[in-house]
Amino acid sequence: MTKPKIASDWICGCAGCHMSLLDMDERILKIVELADLRSTPITDLKEPDESGVDVGVLEGGINNSANEEVAHKMRQRAKILVALGDCAVFGGVPALRNFCGVEAALKQAYEDAPSNEPGSKIPDDPELATMTKTRAIHEVVPVDYNVPGCPPDPDVIFYVLSELAQGRKPELKDELLHWH
Amino acid sequence: MAQITINNKQIDVPDGTTVLRAAEMAGIHIPRLCEHKELTPYGGCRLCIVEVQGVRVPMASCTLPVNNGMVINTETEAIKKSRKFILSMLFSERNHFCPFCQVSGGDCELQNAAYAEEMTHWPIQPGWNDFPVDTSHPYFVLDNNRCILCRRCVRACSEMAGNFTLSVAERGAKSMIVADTDIPLGESTCIKCGSCVQVCPTGALIDRTSAYQGHDEQMTEVKSVCAGCSVGCSIKIMVRDNRIVRIEGDWDGPVNHGALCEHGRYDAVTESRKRITSPMVKKNGKLEPVSWDEALNTVKEKLQALNGDKHGVAGLASTRLPAETLAAFNDLFKGKFQSDLVTSIEEGVPTAAVAKYAEGHENFEGKIDALRTADAVMCIGANLQTSHMVAGFQFKRNLTKGTRLINIDPEESGLDDLANIVIKPKAGTDLALIRGLQAIIAKEGLERSSLKIKDADKIIKNAVAETDISLEKLTQAARLLANAISPVILYGKGVTAQRDAQIVEALHQLAVQIGAEDSERNGLLSLKGESNSQTATLLGLDQPFSLNGHKVTYLAIGDDYVSKSLVERAVKSAYLVVQASYESKLTENADVLLPVTLWAEQEGHYINLDGRIRKAEKAITAPENVRDNLDVLTDLAKRMNLSLDTDWQKAIRGRKSSVALN
Repeated sequence: MTKPKIASDWICGCAGCHMSLLDMDERILKIVELADLRSTPITDLKEPDESGVDVGVLEGGINNSANEEVAHKMRQRAKILVALGDCAVFGGVPALRNFCGVEAALKQAYEDAPSNEPGSKIPDDPELATMTKTRAIHEVVPVDYNVPGCPPDPDVIFYVLSELAQGRKPELKDELLHWH
Repeated sequence: MAQITINNKQIDVPDGTTVLRAAEMAGIHIPRLCEHKELTPYGGCRLCIVEVQGVRVPMASCTLPVNNGMVINTETEAIKKSRKFILSMLFSERNHFCPFCQVSGGDCELQNAAYAEEMTHWPIQPGWNDFPVDTSHPYFVLDNNRCILCRRCVRACSEMAGNFTLSVAERGAKSMIVADTDIPLGESTCIKCGSCVQVCPTGALIDRTSAYQGHDEQMTEVKSVCAGCSVGCSIKIMVRDNRIVRIEGDWDGPVNHGALCEHGRYDAVTESRKRITSPMVKKNGKLEPVSWDEALNTVKEKLQALNGDKHGVAGLASTRLPAETLAAFNDLFKGKFQSDLVTSIEEGVPTAAVAKYAEGHENFEGKIDALRTADAVMCIGANLQTSHMVAGFQFKRNLTKGTRLINIDPEESGLDDLANIVIKPKAGTDLALIRGLQAIIAKEGLERSSLKIKDADKIIKNAVAETDISLEKLTQAARLLANAISPVILYGKGVTAQRDAQIVEALHQLAVQIGAEDSERNGLLSLKGESNSQTATLLGLDQPFSLNGHKVTYLAIGDDYVSKSLVERAVKSAYLVVQASYESKLTENADVLLPVTLWAEQEGHYINLDGRIRKAEKAITAPENVRDNLDVLTDLAKRMNLSLDTDWQKAIRGRKSSVALN
């Protein structure tokens, strides 16, 4: 029997959830034993296999057109999609800009903030992705498992990945369920 | 009684019980957010919905009274689904992002409710509406973005503090909590009691000093008694790493039922006085740090020769000290040294006249509970908006429900705005005023128990002349009092400071006359002063502090505040020993300075204004080189080969009490 394939990626997050994933220490060997780790931000392969993976993990919310593309690609290629961490699940800290709007946030960041050079402008290179409202993954593509936490505890990540790798459905409750 | 079935469990509950309470009695927990056991059910959050057989829609169990034969289910699939939906709606209303909220991770009832329903995400994303954040208050922040509009704070403000500052402005999704007419909290009528913060189920009311200082489960909860004043509120001291993080009102407290005032809740956490950390002795005109041994021996040398000399040592102790310490202090200087001047920091101002009258009328005062059911309250010389606030809460909360208030105070008082009748007599005319009220009640035939007043007209005329209050107003007050079913008379420092037992007697007569005091009830109570005022008085520590050639003055101030007047008198002492926790004008002038524990660093008993004897617990450990108040006195006595009487329970019973001790 071939091992189930797992791919992951981060979009509008802070990489903290992947740090927490690495924080599971030697148990990562158990994951490697159970599953075939494919593309991740910390491995060479940069995209989930075209032929598909069993589990796709996304860290971060969706705040521009590039994020949307990554999310759609992961959804298309993964049988099971996991939203990892508060940004992926709720929108998280980046979603706070929704309270003021994209324009105001960009203006503050690139023009008004005192650390900017005088005359700084919001970048407008056509190559750049288009900014959107920050959304949770499930607002853009269907999600099979939401794993909240800022970041989710390594124990939670290990539990979810090892259950999925063994073909079981992870159930987040009690000690395994936290949003902070 | 009603017999009902909840989740197939039969239970008999008293009529009028709500379904939520009945479920609790049956050991079944129904999730809730707006419901709080000390507040009137409101039915706002809808989380407590249950299925009632024969009823088409889910019902909010917190406002639904039981009916005989009712069949209730709290955990059907439909109810669980609805509950999750209700939570989804609540989360979608405002900014409930958890990672940067101080209550997230155990102390948020909203988050805990979501965990209980095993919610991994919000099915409905937020609407991104921005609400105002009010940071104008010195003790807390109101963030409407985290509010779920449960109105617990609004109810706590009116039902616990009786202050009616908080309310809801706007309608529907735009509703928000505001102070008064939507003005900044810091400029509002808020009396800063913090009850609203204590009941808030989310992070909408943020306590400035304790926010982000750790979760409740990381703290030790020490149940104790507040040493702030004679009301004696039960408190929970939340301690982490030997630091008081927060103080909360204990819901089980017999006097306060969870409420606290600004002082009880915030004084300890905002303390800014400088601590004394080493014993000091004045050498060449300058206080120098010395060892405890040297300091105590210096005091011993000074004191030893004065044993038996009544003009030898003058002693004064704080009424914030525990009964054990006060009794030891009294025994050392009055019992052993035979000094003629041993008193307390309050010098009997709030208690001496009451105690004098009690000599012939033991236990003539009642319990604070009477205030909660009073339909008329007469406050005389008692400004409950500045001190003993929690006593005021007990009836202020009923002022909108028909309880009427007569406030008698020559001084400006915060109670004036709340009172139905405000009487501002000329200072020092209380006796004439009270006798005038008695005479009017007698003349109008409104007495419950006759005082047999002769020549009422003359007394009334005199009252009007002396107090400068119109006959019309006096009559109004007299009628209000006499016609009340359960009136209460509360008197404070304004009366007792006159040190005249006759006024107390007149008040007692009035109480009997209007039926405030009879065989069934006792609605006469004096406020006393600090937390152990009554203990000090029972020990006889209530005379004015007038130095008269005393050779040494020993002041056991503890963590108390010192008045300018006390400093002025004390610095004239020939030799000044000060036992205190904090630096002050007094300690600057000391010849010997002994650093001692604060209220929370020691244990000991307190007797509150209505005679409840309760133990305050030690919550934190004192800094090194700071010693316990009682320990210092005991050690000093031992050095002089004296053994102090430790039976404080017996010592306080040497004098008749104005309130029954229990």
